[in-house]
Amino acid sequence: MAATRRLQKELADIRKSGIKSFRDIQVDESNILTWQGLIVPENPPYNKGAFRIEVNFPAEYPFKPPKINFKTKIYHPNVDEKGQVCLPIISAENWKPATKTDQVIEALINLVNEPEPEHPLRADLAEDYSKDRKKFMKNAEEFTKKNSEKRPAD
Amino acid sequence: MSDEEMEYSDTDYDDYYGNDYEGDMDHMIPMKNDPEYFDVACLTDTEVERLLNESVEQLSNSIQVTPSLAKLLLHMYNWNQVEIVAGYRQDCHRILASAHIKPPTPPQSTTAKDPGGENEGEIICPVCLGTIAPETVGKLTCGHKFCKDCWSMHFEVQIIQGISTGIECMANNCQVLAPEDFVVPLLKHPVLKEKYQQYAFADYVRSHPQLRFCPGPNCNIVVQAKECRAKRVICTACKTQFCFKCGGDYHAPTDCETIKRWLTKCADDSETANYISAHTKDCPKCHLCIEKNGGCNHMQCWKCKHDFCWMCLGCWKTHGSEYYECSRYKENPNIAHESAHAQAREALKKYLHYYERWENHSKSLKLEEETLAKIRARTQNKVMAGTGTWIDWQYLLDAAALLARCRYTLQNTYPFAYYLESGPRKDLFEYQQAQLEAEIENLSWKIERAEMTDRGDLENQMDVVEKRRTTLLTDFLQV
Repeated sequence: MAATRRLQKELADIRKSGIKSFRDIQVDESNILTWQGLIVPENPPYNKGAFRIEVNFPAEYPFKPPKINFKTKIYHPNVDEKGQVCLPIISAENWKPATKTDQVIEALINLVNEPEPEHPLRADLAEDYSKDRKKFMKNAEEFTKKNSEKRPAD
Repeated sequence: MSDEEMEYSDTDYDDYYGNDYEGDMDHMIPMKNDPEYFDVACLTDTEVERLLNESVEQLSNSIQVTPSLAKLLLHMYNWNQVEIVAGYRQDCHRILASAHIKPPTPPQSTTAKDPGGENEGEIICPVCLGTIAPETVGKLTCGHKFCKDCWSMHFEVQIIQGISTGIECMANNCQVLAPEDFVVPLLKHPVLKEKYQQYAFADYVRSHPQLRFCPGPNCNIVVQAKECRAKRVICTACKTQFCFKCGGDYHAPTDCETIKRWLTKCADDSETANYISAHTKDCPKCHLCIEKNGGCNHMQCWKCKHDFCWMCLGCWKTHGSEYYECSRYKENPNIAHESAHAQAREALKKYLHYYERWENHSKSLKLEEETLAKIRARTQNKVMAGTGTWIDWQYLLDAAALLARCRYTLQNTYPFAYYLESGPRKDLFEYQQAQLEAEIENLSWKIERAEMTDRGDLENQMDVVEKRRTTLLTDFLQV
């Protein structure tokens, strides 16, 4: 299966790279199609915590894109209450088989650090983010402190 | 189209008297002053295929590219050969790049490091990460190399999603398109090949400004017209009548955008219309439409202040206050509120006026279809009774067909009038519309009651109606 070989290699490469903003990657040996990992953003208000995500690869991977879900609640214009995220690089129309998971994760981290209020999943948050940044930051920081996971020590 | 040609050819006596200098052609061309005249051809998919291939071959010869690339170019440029050839002669790279046949910047030379590969001898496919032998490498003009198995899988997944002409290279951010002659040989299942050809064919027809799929159910006809205009097309195979430009039901004299607005409005407002009939009654004194928005049956007309009972429409005073426990309807005497209300009501009244007539003609059209069956039965009876021969009665069927065509146009004059601004043009339009309507009802009456083979009167009426219709279209059909 093309998916297995490629995912094993990708997983090894990401683990080896020692990337700081995506770590603690857990993959069940029996099912390489599901990954969990910790997103550690750098920009406020999200730099007060860390966020667990799940990456689900379809059996047709890499010819079909993976899906990403937030397992930790996050107060973000581009992530809805169910943890679904709108990321153009993994939409069916834009997906390219040569796109690698580290590029997807990079795009995700960029989106978390820099919200895109132009195409929101939560319109109310996007409006606050654009029009009343102070209020947004205050709410987001409180929410992050209350709901997010602990950031790794190093 | 054909029955129309028949009619006009009847009036074309010239050929009888020997002056046929234009030959038979003149006979075939419908009258130039017919405002609905539109030159179209109904093609089968084989004929369309041939037509498209001719363009492909011409372009392929004139700019020396493979037929497959020529096809993609034509598709991306809406089959505008002149533009492609001119552009190609001027700057071939720009044309190829903007059609996504070549990358915007030329790929790095093959000696440079390949994405994912170390050298020419051993390449690693960036998709499956397997090593690939040089002979199983596949690449597009962008130079991104992948193994043929991965290309096949990629095509398969794309085709299953309905994508054909739009299949791109597998590399990140690369928009180069895979042409037909690259895709088809790599498809493993015959079913997929068939699907690919089918989707691609549909894409080509859709990008071609002169071609339209017939919207008739299960009809495979493609209609070809020299110009893309909002004119009537009647499919020769399934007889579906539609507008060439928008592909919807034919709508002269109304234009495509207006009819779309009208139909959307009708769809949105049909509930309103239903609501009005279900929840309103006219004031028994001044006949203003009153909505009952509460449980109380004591109504007061906001305009004439008449108090009446919702149930019996009788005067409220006769009801006696002890019978009804409800409190009296308190009317808000706010003038501004009232005027806004009155405005809304007026707008609705206007809409309903046009909508009712539009709907009514649509219903009449359906009823007159039943008349057609009655005409056939009547003809049968008459012939059996010895009143004329079967041929003698055929004029009635022609009359019914003409009636349907005229009523159809009449129906479509209502959305036109609804959106027409007040002024002399609208006055003229509504005058002509009224004339047409009167003559149509006349014709309908006469057809339903035709008891004789004396066709003079009826044919005269047919002529009058069709003239009214043509005049209206000549004056107002601007497409």
